Amino acid sequence: MLVRRSIARSFSTSSATRLYIQNNLNNDQTHPSLQTNPGAKVYDFRSDTVTAPTDEMFEIMKAASRGDDVFQEDRSVKELEEYVANLCGHEAALFCASGTMTNQLGLRTHLSNPPHSVVCDARSHVFLWEAGGIAFHSRASVSPVICRNGIHVTAEEIEGNLIEADIHTAPTRVVSLENTLSGLVMPIDEIRKISELARSRGLAMHLDGARLWNAHMQSGVPMHEYGAQFDSMSLCLSKGVGAPVGSILVGNHGFIDRARHLRKLFGGGWRQVGPLAAVAKHCIEHVVPTMPETHKLAKYLADQLTSLGVQLQVPVHTNMVLIDTTSVGLDVQKDLIPTLLSKNIVIGGQRNKSRIVLHHQVDRKGVDTLIEGVREAIATHQANEPSEPPAQQQAIASAY
Amino acid sequence: MLRSTSHNLKNGIAYCSMVLNRRCLATVTPSKLGFYDMTSDTATEVTDDMFDIMRSASRKDDVFGNDPSVNELEHYVAKLFGHEASLFCASGTMTNQLGLRALLTQPPHSVLCDAQSHINLYECGGLAYHSQASVTAVTATNGVYLTADDVDANRVLEDVHNASTKVIALENTLNGAIMPMEEMQRIHTLARNENIKLHLDGARIWNASQATGIPLADYGQLFDTVSVCVSKGIGAPIGSLIIGSKEMIRKARHLRKLMGGGWRQAGLLAKIAQHCIDTVIPTMPETHRLTKKLATGLEGSGIRILLPVDTNMIFIDTAPLPMQELADALQKKRNILISAEDNGTITRLVLHHQIDESAVEGFVQVASDLIKEKGISFPTTPSRPKVDVSKAYPSIQH
Repeated sequence: MLVRRSIARSFSTSSATRLYIQNNLNNDQTHPSLQTNPGAKVYDFRSDTVTAPTDEMFEIMKAASRGDDVFQEDRSVKELEEYVANLCGHEAALFCASGTMTNQLGLRTHLSNPPHSVVCDARSHVFLWEAGGIAFHSRASVSPVICRNGIHVTAEEIEGNLIEADIHTAPTRVVSLENTLSGLVMPIDEIRKISELARSRGLAMHLDGARLWNAHMQSGVPMHEYGAQFDSMSLCLSKGVGAPVGSILVGNHGFIDRARHLRKLFGGGWRQVGPLAAVAKHCIEHVVPTMPETHKLAKYLADQLTSLGVQLQVPVHTNMVLIDTTSVGLDVQKDLIPTLLSKNIVIGGQRNKSRIVLHHQVDRKGVDTLIEGVREAIATHQANEPSEPPAQQQAIASAY
Repeated sequence: MLRSTSHNLKNGIAYCSMVLNRRCLATVTPSKLGFYDMTSDTATEVTDDMFDIMRSASRKDDVFGNDPSVNELEHYVAKLFGHEASLFCASGTMTNQLGLRALLTQPPHSVLCDAQSHINLYECGGLAYHSQASVTAVTATNGVYLTADDVDANRVLEDVHNASTKVIALENTLNGAIMPMEEMQRIHTLARNENIKLHLDGARIWNASQATGIPLADYGQLFDTVSVCVSKGIGAPIGSLIIGSKEMIRKARHLRKLMGGGWRQAGLLAKIAQHCIDTVIPTMPETHRLTKKLATGLEGSGIRILLPVDTNMIFIDTAPLPMQELADALQKKRNILISAEDNGTITRLVLHHQIDESAVEGFVQVASDLIKEKGISFPTTPSRPKVDVSKAYPSIQH
């Protein structure tokens, strides 16, 4: 109903420092000095998407079914979809080539009637890293919310940014949350509050749960409890879960049927996918339980780095360590990356920020080598510029 | 028409001379499941040995662009078609839409294509959705393929009211029928004169090339973008590639991410695709021979053939015999699957390297028995349309 009235909406945009946590994933093209030891193992800390298939996975693939998924005739795909749907307390699921695809399909299926918009955390993957997908696929606007506590958006902040129907507006239609976001776990209580709010306003709830597995293992909250708060969830299988390819969207039957049709439109209608589905299911069952170990290793890494004087951009909840090297005077590209590359360690980042991501294929040795590399880089830098004054502290809160 | 070995091929596989040299044909392996699926060549099955090949692939992240197996396949296919680069994607719909999207830079704009083409009928309205493009769907005057005259008569000119034609999209093979090279060249010339871009839906261009003896690069160089499938007759489990200039493919890679096609450890899929290209393409002449044998056999029983049988497809009309009855008999007696619409009498049969001689002979036998049993008498109208490409390609034997 379009009503002309004055709306008190708290605009959350502010002149904050750059929000993109630039990962600069193409580092190895900008540094020709990669791999001085071609035979030695390379540790890639840029993302958990680098989890590689193991030899054993090919046996699992061989044993899978070989039907055609466009015609929904494949047993292994059906098994995976049913398994994940049940796990999440949803009716159905759709196995797709990527998390971008499952996120965009989820949103697109909710967004049927422009003008409309999505409200989400300003750091969200769906907003920053999906090549403008929300505008392109759904012709929707985005209300990006900058969270004041630096960890997660709150129900109050979401409510303050909802856009109501008015002749001038693109009203909010979907609330899209992300858990984990930058490795941070969003508390289930806050999610419940937001879900209640959204449902009371007739809004759809979508979750970018690319790393929900990590949140679940860290918080102990069952997958179906998260599932109950959302109309749709997108869960990645090729990140920390370790499968070679894929992501899965869950929702109710009608929703998934429409998403399946849209998937074909997106070019995601693939054929003999049974082997990929079988290996994804295997990975959920065997790799997800190893996540607490990975989280412990991340905390260990964080502790060691902070003891060297490096700071953290955000706390470490799961498998990511976001560092800020201002206090030790290092430029990531100039000072840190070359040193690490010589030790066969790859990280991303620019200026004084970097995101380090661990997964089940990273061992303690790799982490210790990384720590050693950072120590070396700091020492080298101090040797070259001993008179540099200590850098300013930059608390997250002051940015907002 | 003898053509010498194409100089574009890396492994020295003589695609062209294969047409006349039947002895070298790779074995046509029958289905392990014990049934023969002739509903489409997307039904090509995955075999056990494929997994060992997949295991040997590299395991890097394709979004980062650093996986050797994927890069090798992309480089290989680009060179095969005489282009600079290519991009490996999850499906033919994706590669078609990416190629077209990369060429369609700013509305108002439209695409001209055959009314029966896949991009017009089977891609969920992708042209409108991804590119905000209108479609000029042209019905071929000769009933088989578009001619330069068809294109010229239907292209939309620049005018304030119009969404002018910015891309001409051709499909070869279309419904299994080959578009003659001379016609493609005429359309190419017309397009270049009018500053119109050209896209090829070459999902089955491999079949065309094998049947005509024309190298893939000769086809490739007529187009700005080419989409080729590896999961159809070629037999790989998944995938398709879009081919073009470095700049086009750079753009396509970005658009691919937007469409959700940025997959991670795809090396294993690329490796098996490359293997299939090398080992299955040489079997295509045999598949084409079996297709013709089947068509001839069915025609002999009175069934009408609706389109030229140039490659691996047959369109049949069994009226007055309901197709469902034929489909049931085939499934029961010989485990052969064909598609049948309710109350329909027309269907498409598609052969591939996993359909063997015994399946074809069985099909003909079952059809003939059924017709005799039911005492069907067929109308006497001639079955083949007038268009016949055999004069252009003596290697194709009708």
